[in-house]
This record gives sequence, structure tokens and C-alpha cells, in this order.
Amino acid sequence: MNTAIDTARLSPPPRQSLVKLLAWGVIFATLAWSWSGAEIRPMALITDGANMGTFLADFFPPNFHDWRYYLEEMVITLHIAIWGTALAVVCAVPFGLLCAENVAPAWINQPVRRMMDSCRAINEMVFAMLFVVAVGLGPFAGVLALFVHTTGILAKLFSEAVEAIDPRPVEGIRATGANLLEEIVYGIIPQVMPLWISYSLYRFESNVRSATVVGMVGAGGIGVVLWEIIRGFYFAETCAVMLIIIATVSIIDIASSRLRKLFI
Amino acid sequence: MTKAAKVMVPAIKVTRLHKTFNCCKALDGVSLDINPGEMVALIGASGSGKSTLLRHVAGLAVGDSSAQGGSIEVMGRPVQARGRLASDIRATRARIGFVFQQFNLVGRLPVMTNVLTGSLGRLPSWRSLTGLFPLEDRERAFDALTRVGISETAWQRASTLSGGQQQRAAIARTLVQRAEIILADEPIASLDPESSRRVMETLATINAEDKTTVVVCLHQVDFAIRYCPRTIALKKGQIVFDGASSDLTPSALRDLYGAEADELSAPIQGSASFITDTALAVAG
Ligand SMILES: Nc1ncnc2c1ncn2[C@@H]1O[C@H](COP(=O)(O)OP(=O)(O)OP(=O)(O)O)[C@@H](O)[C@H]1O
Ligand SMILES: [Mg+2]
Repeated sequence: MNTAIDTARLSPPPRQSLVKLLAWGVIFATLAWSWSGAEIRPMALITDGANMGTFLADFFPPNFHDWRYYLEEMVITLHIAIWGTALAVVCAVPFGLLCAENVAPAWINQPVRRMMDSCRAINEMVFAMLFVVAVGLGPFAGVLALFVHTTGILAKLFSEAVEAIDPRPVEGIRATGANLLEEIVYGIIPQVMPLWISYSLYRFESNVRSATVVGMVGAGGIGVVLWEIIRGFYFAETCAVMLIIIATVSIIDIASSRLRKLFI
Repeated sequence: MTKAAKVMVPAIKVTRLHKTFNCCKALDGVSLDINPGEMVALIGASGSGKSTLLRHVAGLAVGDSSAQGGSIEVMGRPVQARGRLASDIRATRARIGFVFQQFNLVGRLPVMTNVLTGSLGRLPSWRSLTGLFPLEDRERAFDALTRVGISETAWQRASTLSGGQQQRAAIARTLVQRAEIILADEPIASLDPESSRRVMETLATINAEDKTTVVVCLHQVDFAIRYCPRTIALKKGQIVFDGASSDLTPSALRDLYGAEADELSAPIQGSASFITDTALAVAG
């Protein structure tokens, strides 16, 4: 008798097990449903194995003959990421505050949020293509593309940080007769600063990665080089460029995550 | 003639203030007058509406709009009436120093900056938003910290101070504010007896030396009797006692609060000499 009760208590209630089972069912059903649309053909990996082997062999050894040129373009890519992020941070501060429920009333923060949603929803590659048309080929189009997309992301992250603050210090500032801007500068910003810095650095990391691809549509930097050599089937050069990208991105990632740890 | 005829403007005048939250009535027709230079204790059990009343006086909350009256004036200037804040509320708030139970300092900023925010109400925006506080205000802030006895912590982050020190920093902020009224909402509720004593003494000294009106919410009647000549007692949002603190004998409290009286009359533990010489001289 006793043991029966005890074992029942040791396993989760039947409802929970049922929910778990259902969740797994939904996951597998979704995967099966997308199988044909995505044209998953595992056999192709085996039948075309030999082709892929020769293809891979073309990549090695990497050809670093033009390394100076690659590095120059890589630095331009960094420049694009730096300016795209910097402009976005500057704009995300006011937009982030306007998105926050505890700063702006609903009739302001709802429209601003929808605006930021659309900046975020559209990929930077799409913006890059549009800006290449608007301002011409080159890095500036890349900067603008990253700027718009990143503003949307950072404004949301910034506003979430603002909504999570402790309201009491802000009330303390308000009680001294301060106005709204002073409340923000002295009550809110000091509280969210570490998070804001950390989010900005994190976005800088991902923007370095994104900046390497916006070039593929002509928006400057290493991406342009990559696109040209892939199109010309210069695989050894492609490999060299990819190694340079991997090295740069890894260095930036490591440095920035070290830096971020200082602020949290 | 004119001088004699001149009626003293009350520091705080509350007229038939009502406040209803979703569930219940937190303030039920509260009226009171407090004169400049008074030191008044506001007592009552938990949930009796003390914090709510103080927040209304400082214009941090608005009363019911439907109620008749429901007006609050501070130094003769309207704070709110019929559920609407006065349009010049910020100028009035600048004259009222608020000390919160949880200190409400900005933990990541230095104590000095926290104290300097007391001057925000009278600084032009270009100064306040850039943090370029005038030298005069910096001196004032340092003097205020010296006066409450924590000048050595001036450049520490506020979050690194002890509870008692944070509370004194909050009082220093009201000094920089040159507040004519200090509203303190349970300033000692989260402090140990020794820190409580120092905070209450600091308030009493400011009241005596600067003639600042002080209204302080308290949980323990002992402190009220010791530091405040006058006590106002709240019960379920209504004033049930308003008079000399010395009249608050244990039996009077039992009449007012019944079983709740025990919560209020818990004795002050620890120290024997509650009142330093300055505070005593002041009271006398
Ligand atoms: N923001 C609010 N929303 C809803 N109800 C509230 C709010 N603030 C206060 N109340 C209610 O109003 C009543 C009075 O609260 P108040 O905080 O003024 O009491 P208090 O006397 O300060 O109590 P304590 O000694 O615990 O601080 C309580 O019943 C409380 O639940
Ligand atoms: Mg309270």
C-alpha cells in the first residue's frame, strides 16, 4: 500500500507527462511537414560524395598571394561594422526609451515599437540591396543597412532593460522636483548602462559577421571580394578569404565578450 | 496690526482626501493641518495608509477625483485638487524632501551625485543634463554629507553603503534640496536600533536648526513619543488621533487599535541614551 503511494508521488502527475508527449508529437509533426518543402535528400550527400571531394580539394592549399588586398578589405568591413553599430546605438537610446512602457505612454510607444519591429523584421541583406540602389555601390550602403537593422534590434533590447529597472530610485529623483529628462539621466540610465553596453558590444560582434556578407550585394568590404572570387571559381583564394574572416571574427568575438564581462 | 492679523500659512494642509485602490479605500476623508517648523509623527498599523498619505502630499500620487475637496496644499501652494496634480507640481516638489523606507538612491552612482540630485529642481537643464553642478552646490552637498556624518563615503557607490548610511545620504539629499518640508516614510523600518536612533536624531536636529517641517511615518510609538511632539494616528485610512505624543499611553493605544496595538508599541531595543544633547536641547 505504502510503496504504491510513494512511487506515484515520485513520478510527475499524469497531466504533465501527457503535455510532454504532446510537445514531442508537435515537434516531429512540424519536421515531417517541412521535409518535402525543403527538399531534404540525404542520399545526395552519398551519391555526390565524390564530386564534393574534388570540390573540397580545390580549396586547398589556400592561396594567400593577394593577402594585402584581402586584409585591406577586411579592415573596411570592420569600419562598416563600427559605423553601422555606432549610429545604431545613438539612435537606439531615444527609440529604446520611447518604446519602454514605464517611460512613454501607449500612444507613443506602440507606434515606435511597430517601427522598430519593421526595422528588425527585414534582414540587413535586403536593406543593403535597397541602399546600394539609393546611395550607390560601396561601404556606405553597408553602413546604412547595418544601422537600420541594428537600431531595430537594439531599441528593443534597450527598452526591455528600461522596463526591468527598479522604479524606486527614479521616484527618489522625481521627488526632488526633477523633470522627465532628469529622471531618465539620473534614475534610469545609470541602472541600465551595464546592460546597454553589453548589448551594444554583442551587436558589434554580430555586425562584423553581417558586414562580411552585405558586401555580396555590392555594399563594400570583404564581401565584394568573396563574391567575385566565388563567381570566378577561384576556390583557393576563397579559402584564404574565408580563413581571414574566421580569424577576424573570432578575435573580435573573444575580445568583445571579455569586455562585456567587465560590465555585467 | 497687519502682523497680528496675518494668519500663518500651514506647511501642509490636507482637506478631505480620499483614495480608493481597486480593492479598498486606502484614505478615507483625511484632513489635517501641519504648521511650519513642526515635527510630526504619523503612526498606524501596516496597511493603514501612511505611505499613501505621504505620497499624495509629495504629489507622487493623486487622490480620487470624484470626492468633494480632496485638495492638498503645501506652503500655500496647491499640490493637487480633485484628483489632478497642480501644473507647477515640480516647483512644489522641489520644496519637499522625501525620504523613503528603501532609501531610493541610485545604487550605481556615487553618494555625492545622489546627494547632488537634490539640486535638480532649481538647475537649468543644460547643467543638470550634463552633470555640471555648480561649485556652490557641490560644496553644499559635501557640507550636507558632513552634517549627517558620512562625508568620508562621498565618492563611494551608494549601493556600497550600509542601510543607515544610505538613509542619511537620502536625508543629505533633502538638505541640498533646501527642502522646507521633509516627508520621511518609515525611514528607520529597515534599520537596526543604533542606526535608527542616528537617523531620527539627524531628522530632529534638522527640524530644530533649520526650522524644517518634518513629518515622519513610524511603526513604533516609542520613537514617535521620543522625537516628535505631535502624533497623528491613522487606522484604515482615517485619522483616529491627532494630538500630543505624550498622550499616547499604552491604554490609549489599546483603545485606538485594539489587538493591533502590540504591533505599534514594540519597545525600542538596545540603547539607553536615545537622545543626544543636541536633540534634547532642541526638544526643550
Ligand atoms: N499601488 C497600490 N495599488 C493597490 N493598492 C495599494 C497600492 N498602494 C497601497 N495600496 C493599499 O492601500 C492600503 C494602504 O497602504 P499603505 O502602503 O499606505 O499602508 P502603510 O500604512 O504605509 O503600511 P506599511 O506600514 O505596511 O507601510 C493598503 O491596503 C494597500 O494594500
Ligand atoms: Mg508604508
